[in-house]
Amino acid sequence: MTRAIEQPLETDKLVLNFGPQHPSTHGTLRIIMELEGETVTKATPEIGYLHSGFEKLGEDLDFNQYITITDRMNYLSPLCNNVAYALAAEKLIGLEVSQRTEYIRVLMCELSRIADHLLNVGMLAVDLGAMTAFLYGFRLREDIYDLFEIATGTRLTTSYTLVGGLMRDIPEDYDKAVIKVLDEVVEGVDEIETLLTKNRIWQDRTKNIGVISKEDAISYGISGPMARASGIDWDIRVNEQPYSSYGDFDFDVAIALNGDVFDRYLVRMEEICQSVKICRQALEKMPEGDVIVDPGLGYSLPPKDEVYNSIEGLIYHFEVTMPNRGMTPPVGEAYVPTESPNGELGFYIVSDGNRTPYRVRTRPPSFMNYSIFSKLIEGHMLSDAPAILGSINIIAGELDR
Amino acid sequence: MIHDDIKSNILTTKLEQFINWGRKNSFWPMPFGTACCGIEFMAVLAARTDLSRFGAEAIRFSPRQSDLLIVAGRISIKMMPVLIRIYEQMPEPKWVMAMGACASTGGVFDTYSVIQGIDQFIPVDVYVPGCPPRPEGVVEGLMKLQDLVGKEKLSDYDPVQAK
Amino acid sequence: MPPATILSQVKEQFPETVLAGTEFAGEQILHVKGQHILTVLTALKADGYNFLADLTAIDNLTLGGFERFVVSYHLLCHQSAERLTVKAYIPEENPSMPSVESLWKTADWQEREVFDLYGIIFEGHPNLIRIMNPDDFDGYPLRKDYPRLGRKERDDFPVVDRGIQKKNRPQ
Repeated sequence: MTRAIEQPLETDKLVLNFGPQHPSTHGTLRIIMELEGETVTKATPEIGYLHSGFEKLGEDLDFNQYITITDRMNYLSPLCNNVAYALAAEKLIGLEVSQRTEYIRVLMCELSRIADHLLNVGMLAVDLGAMTAFLYGFRLREDIYDLFEIATGTRLTTSYTLVGGLMRDIPEDYDKAVIKVLDEVVEGVDEIETLLTKNRIWQDRTKNIGVISKEDAISYGISGPMARASGIDWDIRVNEQPYSSYGDFDFDVAIALNGDVFDRYLVRMEEICQSVKICRQALEKMPEGDVIVDPGLGYSLPPKDEVYNSIEGLIYHFEVTMPNRGMTPPVGEAYVPTESPNGELGFYIVSDGNRTPYRVRTRPPSFMNYSIFSKLIEGHMLSDAPAILGSINIIAGELDR
Repeated sequence: MIHDDIKSNILTTKLEQFINWGRKNSFWPMPFGTACCGIEFMAVLAARTDLSRFGAEAIRFSPRQSDLLIVAGRISIKMMPVLIRIYEQMPEPKWVMAMGACASTGGVFDTYSVIQGIDQFIPVDVYVPGCPPRPEGVVEGLMKLQDLVGKEKLSDYDPVQAK
Repeated sequence: MPPATILSQVKEQFPETVLAGTEFAGEQILHVKGQHILTVLTALKADGYNFLADLTAIDNLTLGGFERFVVSYHLLCHQSAERLTVKAYIPEENPSMPSVESLWKTADWQEREVFDLYGIIFEGHPNLIRIMNPDDFDGYPLRKDYPRLGRKERDDFPVVDRGIQKKNRPQ
C-alpha cells in the first residue's frame, strides 16, 4: 500500500565532480555530472590530465628511439603499439621484413590482446563489485608477463620491434612455455565465465546499459570490440589487406547485436579464445629465418656480435646511430591502421628526409571511443557510470598522449 | 597558549620505538597512479607480490584516511594542482613515495607538459627508480621507508622548530 | 570505386578547389583548399566514404607545401575497404576553416584537439575550447616555433610548506 504524495518533490540539480583522482582505476579522467536525484541528466568529460607531449617528442627522436615512447601509450598491451609503429615506418621507407619476423609479431600482438582483455574484464568486474574475477585475471596476466620477460627482457615497457625487424629472436624452448600458458588461459577464462556470464547480478547490471546503435558507432568513429558489439562487421585483420601475414591464420571474428555492456564483455571473452587459436597456429607454422632486415641498407641496427666482431657491423652501427649520420628515409607520409585490442590504432608518419620524423601522429582508439560517453550515460543512473566506463576500456596514456 | 616543547631524551626512547614500530608496520597507502607505473602498482597488490605482507593492505582512496602517498606515473601540468591538494588534505604523519622515473625526475618526457620531478613542490621520502620499477623494487622501497620511519623521534614533529 | 577514379571525379566536379592529387606508397592523397573542405567531404561521404578514421594537422613551416597549415582527413569506405587521405591547406594569416562536425560526430573532439595544439579555428563547431592543455595555457604547443621544453609553465607551482621539519631526512 503506497502513501500518496500530494505534491511531487522539487529537487535541485546536483553537480557531481567525478574527479581526476577517483577510486575506480581507469586513470586520470574527470567527469562533471549533473544529477536529478539518481539519474544523470548531463555528463561532460574532461581529459588532458596525462598530456605529456608525445607528438612533440617524436620530432626530436629518431625512428628507432621513438619505439621506446610508443610503449608508454597503451601500457596494457605495449607490443601492439610497437608493431603498429614499426609497420608505419616500414611502409614509409618501403622495407620488406622476413616472414619469421611477421609471425613473431603476430604471436606477440595476440598475447598482448589476451592480456589487455583480461585486465579490462577484471576492471569492469571490480568496479561492479566482483573482486574475484580481477584476481583471476591478474594471476593469468602475471604468467603472460613472464613470457614477455623471457623474450624481450622486461614485463611492461618492452620496446621489442625495430624498424626492419625485431630487437632479438625468441629463445629455443619458447613454444613450450607459451603453450603451457595458453592452456592455463583457456582454463582461467572458463573460470571467469562461470563466475560472471550466467550470474543474475551481472546480467542485471550490464544488460541494456549503454546501448550504442550502428549509425552512432560509425558517426562517432568507434572501432574495435565496441563497434563489433553493435553489429558492425569490421576487423582490420580480416576485412582490409591483412598486414603482417594475418592472412595465413584461420580465425573467426566475434560480433554481437545489441550493443550494450554485456555484449562488449562477451565479445572480449570470445576474442581471447580466438587469440589463443591464432597463437597456437603461429607456433606450429613458425618459419625459419632472420629477424632483422639487412643492416647494409642503413635502417636497422646490426646484431651485437657482428658489431663487436666485424668492421662492417661497427660501421653500420655508427651509420644508424651517430647524430650527424642516421637513416635517410624518402620524403612522404604513411598511415597504417592495425587492430589493437581497443580498436583501430594507426600511426601517421610524415618524413622530410631527415633522421627524425617531421610529424608522428597516433590515431588513438580510446580517444574516439570515449567521445560517445556523454551520450551514453544520459538517462541512466549514477551507479551505471562505472559499468559504462569499464566497458569502453579507456587507457589514459593513449587518450591524452 | 604556550606550545610545549617535546624534546626527545633518554626517557622517551622506548616510547618512540613503540610508536615507530606501530607506524611502520601498518602503512595505509593511497595510490595516486596515473600511468604505466599504476599498472605495476596493481601488480604489486595482486597475488604474486603481495604488499599486505608488510601491513600495507588497507588501500584507501581517500587522502583523509591514509598516511602513505604513492605517486606512480607522470604528473602533467594539469594534474599538479590536484596532487598538491591531495597532499595537503592528508593528515600528519605522512610520507610520500615517488615510484618510477617520471615521478622522481620526469623520466623520458622532457617536454612542456610534464613536471620534472614532484620533489620540486612536495617533500618526498623515498624514490623508487625504474621505468616501470619491478614489483620487488617497490617492496624494497617500502622496506627502506620502514627503516626511515624506525629512526624517527618525537621531536621531529614539533612545528615550532621549523621556523 | 577505387580511389583513383574518385580522385578524377572530384577533380572534375570541383576544378578550382582541388590543388593536386598525388600518390605515395600505394595510397592516394587529395590536396584541396581549406575553405571548400565541407563540400568536398560531403560529396565523398555520399560516394561511400562513411567513416572518418583520423583528423589531424601538420605545420609545414620547414617542410614546404601549398600553405603553412594543413589539416588531413583519413577516410575509410566500409563497403569496399578502401582508404583515402584528403589534405586541406589553410594560410598562416587567417587559419580558419569550416568544421565537419555536421557530417561525423567524431570530428567534435578531434577538431578541439587540433585547435588546442595548432590554433586552427573551425567555423561552425559547437564548443571550440581547449581539450588537452589547461584552460589558461598560452600558445599552441605543436607549432614548429614553440619550444619543446615549454615556456616555464612546468615550473610555475607553489612549493608546499609542511610546517614541520624532520631532522634525519636526507636533504
